[in-house]
Amino acid sequence: MDERGKTGLVCEERCLLHDTGDHHPESPSRLRAVYARLKESGLIAQLAAIEAQPASQRWIEAVHNIHYIRKFEDACLYGLPDFEHTDNVICRDSYDAALLSAGGVLEAVDAVMSGRVDRVFCALRPPGHHAERDKSLGFCYFNNVAIAARYLQQQYGVEKVAILDFDVHHGNGIQHIFEEDPSVLYCSLHEHPSFAWPGTGRDFEEGKGAGEGFTCNVPVLPGRGDKEYRAAVETRIKPKVQAFQPEFILVAMGFDAHADDLMADILLTAEGFDFLSRTVVELAECCTGGRVISVLEGGYNPQTLPALVEKHLRILAGLEK
Amino acid sequence: MFVRDKMVTELVMVSPQDTILGTRRVMIEKQIRHMPVVENGRLVGIVTDRDIRDAMPSLLFEEGVEPEVCNEIADHVIGDIMTHNPITISVAHTLQDALLIMYHKKVGAFPVVDEEGHLLGIISIRDILKAFINLLNIEEPGTLLCVVVEEKPGQMKKVVDVISEENIGLGSILVARYWDEDHRALFPYLLTCNVATVKRKLMNLGFELIEPMDMLLDQVPVNEKE
Repeated sequence: MDERGKTGLVCEERCLLHDTGDHHPESPSRLRAVYARLKESGLIAQLAAIEAQPASQRWIEAVHNIHYIRKFEDACLYGLPDFEHTDNVICRDSYDAALLSAGGVLEAVDAVMSGRVDRVFCALRPPGHHAERDKSLGFCYFNNVAIAARYLQQQYGVEKVAILDFDVHHGNGIQHIFEEDPSVLYCSLHEHPSFAWPGTGRDFEEGKGAGEGFTCNVPVLPGRGDKEYRAAVETRIKPKVQAFQPEFILVAMGFDAHADDLMADILLTAEGFDFLSRTVVELAECCTGGRVISVLEGGYNPQTLPALVEKHLRILAGLEK
Repeated sequence: MFVRDKMVTELVMVSPQDTILGTRRVMIEKQIRHMPVVENGRLVGIVTDRDIRDAMPSLLFEEGVEPEVCNEIADHVIGDIMTHNPITISVAHTLQDALLIMYHKKVGAFPVVDEEGHLLGIISIRDILKAFINLLNIEEPGTLLCVVVEEKPGQMKKVVDVISEENIGLGSILVARYWDEDHRALFPYLLTCNVATVKRKLMNLGFELIEPMDMLLDQVPVNEKE
């Protein structure tokens, strides 16, 4: 079976217009480096191209408060330098880029649900997993993965969605949006919140009310790496996802747990990321008939990010094991 | 800063004549562990969930409790099991006072009284913990650094200047004594995820940054440890 036709990639040049300045970690240059690598390596030609469209407000509103959405749009239109926090540097194009970033993931959902592809990687920005219902945080404005989960449920009637978050920072936004909802399982591996931003994702945060037991946080101590990640995936994440039996898997794929990424203190190697990528494929094969969408979150070292993304995509596409 | 500002004033009290079983029920319902005992508006004692438990039969006796034992418990009142003349604190004490007395006297809560012994409130270890959680800002998204500085004036300023240059909010900053003989450790809690530039600038200024796993918030000489 030729699997190559069954993996898609969402790239969107207009996401580069979200200009955060040259010294900002989440700058256009990180995605530009990724696009260049995917073109030069020829990988891009082996994947199904999926075009991003701006997300319609209806779907942004499935997660975010309308006043928050307008406030963000206004801040961009007024040309404010940042939004709600000095970390969140914006420009006039940031709102449109954020709509495309969220919308690109929705196009990926359409591509999978129509049977065109099984797996997709979304190489888009701004990232999303820190964005709360009514608050931007950590370079994130719209919670791309959370919006996609609601879209799957409300547009396609998918009942159970599992979200895996491998960004080195805890995805507070995704957790808080779904913590009372037993239809969405959120599993996150991240640096321990006493050492790393944003200070959530402690192991006793396990969901609330009806959602109790549907949030699974595995904090990893600083300086640890592949060995601890492997153990956490095998003993905590895999059993949790398998027991949940999701119909769809979304991945908040950050690459900032890499040893050379200065944003945190986890020492994952390229092989460690290969293991995570294989885990994604394996869980999709066993639970969702192979259907999975992986979405770029963090990853701030332009020297290492492109190769990590390329390898993640190769494993996702079945081009490498 | 003062007990006045953090004490709980919606009081759940008992009188010395109240029953043990009734008081136990109130403690469970209200999820509290300490109740001031008041008579004629004045504090006469304190009763804790441990006092109540000590007065109850053991769960380990599976046969159930003899009727005589039940009657015996029912015959007793809070006045029989409470602590008389408990340690109290005044509204004008500071939270630091309260923290130190709690630690040294090994108690979990104090009734707050005025000079005539009228009960004004109660303050527990939870209220103080909440104040320190707020003070350290650990529920705000931030990143903790540990910077080793020489023990001489002006070091903190250099560190804070770098943080200010980067336009980063400061959640809190702790100073640890005795990091080693001539050095102290500063723990700035930065309200940002974007710490790479600050770290690089501090290292370029010659400061040593401690790896997260080696951060010891309370490094003190062994003979000072309890």
